[in-house]
Amino acid sequence: MTELFLRAIFADNLVLSYFLGICTYLAISKRLETALGLAAAMIAVQTVTIPINQLILNGLLIEGAWGWLGLPDVDLSFLKLIAFIGVIAAVVQVLEMALDRYAPALYRALGIYLPLITVNCAILGGSLFMAERHYGFGESVVFGLGSGIGWGLAIALLAAIRERLRYADVPEGLRGLGITFVVTGLISMGFTAFATVTLP
Amino acid sequence: MAEPNPFAFWRRLLALPADSQGKTIAMAFAVSAVCAVLVSGASVLLSPRIDANLAAERQAKLDELIASMPALADILAESQADSMETIVVALDTGQPAPDVDGPVDMQALAADPATSRELTPEQDYAGIGRRPDYAQINVLKSAGRTELVILPIYGAGYQSVIEAYLALEGDLNTVAGLAITSQGETPGLGAKISEPAWQALWPGKQIADDSGEVVLSVVRGKAKTEYEIDGITGATRTGNAIGGMVRFWMGPSGYGPVLDALADGAL
Amino acid sequence: MSLRRTLTRPLISDNPVTLQVLGICSALAVTTSMTTALTMSLALTTVLTASSGIISALRRQIPPQIRLILQITIIASLVIVTDLVLQAYAFAISQRLSIFVSLVVTNCLVLGRAEAFAMHNPVGVSMADGLGNGLGYSLILMAVAFVRELLGLGTLFGQPVLPGPDAGGWFQPLGFMLMAPSAFIVLGLLIWLIRSRWTAQVEENEYPLHVAEVRR
Repeated sequence: MTELFLRAIFADNLVLSYFLGICTYLAISKRLETALGLAAAMIAVQTVTIPINQLILNGLLIEGAWGWLGLPDVDLSFLKLIAFIGVIAAVVQVLEMALDRYAPALYRALGIYLPLITVNCAILGGSLFMAERHYGFGESVVFGLGSGIGWGLAIALLAAIRERLRYADVPEGLRGLGITFVVTGLISMGFTAFATVTLP
Repeated sequence: MAEPNPFAFWRRLLALPADSQGKTIAMAFAVSAVCAVLVSGASVLLSPRIDANLAAERQAKLDELIASMPALADILAESQADSMETIVVALDTGQPAPDVDGPVDMQALAADPATSRELTPEQDYAGIGRRPDYAQINVLKSAGRTELVILPIYGAGYQSVIEAYLALEGDLNTVAGLAITSQGETPGLGAKISEPAWQALWPGKQIADDSGEVVLSVVRGKAKTEYEIDGITGATRTGNAIGGMVRFWMGPSGYGPVLDALADGAL
Repeated sequence: MSLRRTLTRPLISDNPVTLQVLGICSALAVTTSMTTALTMSLALTTVLTASSGIISALRRQIPPQIRLILQITIIASLVIVTDLVLQAYAFAISQRLSIFVSLVVTNCLVLGRAEAFAMHNPVGVSMADGLGNGLGYSLILMAVAFVRELLGLGTLFGQPVLPGPDAGGWFQPLGFMLMAPSAFIVLGLLIWLIRSRWTAQVEENEYPLHVAEVRR
């Protein structure tokens, strides 16, 4: 479990190894504060949606799930895409309402980017990975937490670097988007160094 | 009383303002219904083709395995009319399971508690969590004697599930060949297990030593004995995973009972 | 804006990947070989054109409160059908594309164009916009895949082009090109290339730097 957790954060980082959630990653990484707020929201959504989706997938969609009703051959797994998105949209809606009620400052700071988490490929990608790798419930929770933290870590790193890059003399063609990609590539190279780290 | 006019109803519905409650509910239902029909229709229409593709792919992998191992091709050429038999076996007993239809998807079986067994951490060398109850193996017999056995194995690699076919010679201890059929390891490193050059290191290696314990493993650097396989530099974890797969599936929790049954001539 | 301009603008001057910053996720993941890049491009262009057309046709009927979820449902259904068609008719490739075809659902490009264009424009021009953006996206994908496959494997579309060590040639495949970081760097350099030629796309410096004169 610990290995799964650490792998999800470092070696299997959703954005640096699998390119998921890049659009939001590039858009929100200009200021460190907003980036951290978004990271917190991502961790919350990811930790909640992946286990719920795991339950729905194994309880309702895979072949044999309806065996107790006398329909063991029914295989609804082709619906998993829509089911996952439905769950994610619902969870983000609930998170929005909860933040509005209990943490209004953060709610205002995140603004439009909170509902945009619904369409963040990292969230959907996490659920799809869970389905592909046949995780159990416990593993889903650990994977959700780990992958959320990994994504948050990556965006915090990039935001911190981009704040410094504002004062750098970057060549014209590379300014803005170009240098951000190159820097992300370098961060990604750094993270692959974690690939061989094992716990004693 | 005016007759219900479907066209007038439809026009009235379309004329409703977009944010009215009635329109919202109607659109939600309409879009869901149309999409559901479209998706289900496509699924039903295409699933026979998709299943056929899956089966063809497995058969192609098997053919690829046979083609890649020259020793195998020789054995097949030497044997007479006897051909490759496909048997679905129950892994607990090692006996054939005639009421289970092939092709057998081992990982799907392992995901279902009804058709699999949970493994304790001490048993789970392959990192698969649950072991399926059935497997489909191929046996080549010549004059009643087992000449070759092809066993599908799988396990948790470094960053993906590794699937392979392990072929054993008639003594059920010498490797006739290994073919990796599916893996998602690091390109250029762990993914080298798919290269013919690395798979060519396997024929002739021994699985278990004289005491019967499975000792074949992938070592770091060069192999020194017939119980070792050269490791891939920078892919120690993948190599260990393969070693773990062999240790599990050749052991008592894997194909052990099946190998015993083959040795006894019961299969 | 004429139909022709709608089609050609997203190729370079309004490219979804290099300028609008949309659809990047899949643009990087599937570019290790040109075959997968081509398949992904075709899948995305098909879904983009179709969804833009359908959403545009329904644009006056879609209630604003459930706008997002309706768009996603339509796009998701199109993606599922595309995925099934791929599995039925191009099985080997669909295996390699696995989750990335499914990820077209949340691809910001498809949703982005639906929101920004299809919801406010008639069907014909919306489909042209979808097709144009799909082509712009495909262009970038194929360019990145070209570099990564050629330098990483020495092949193009799976056919050997540069003689590798197996064939006794001089070319040593650059394994780094097959790993994740190279995609970012290749794309960054590609953007540099594009903006060196089409200088209108260069971003403004937030803090312009002055070089002070050295007094002796």
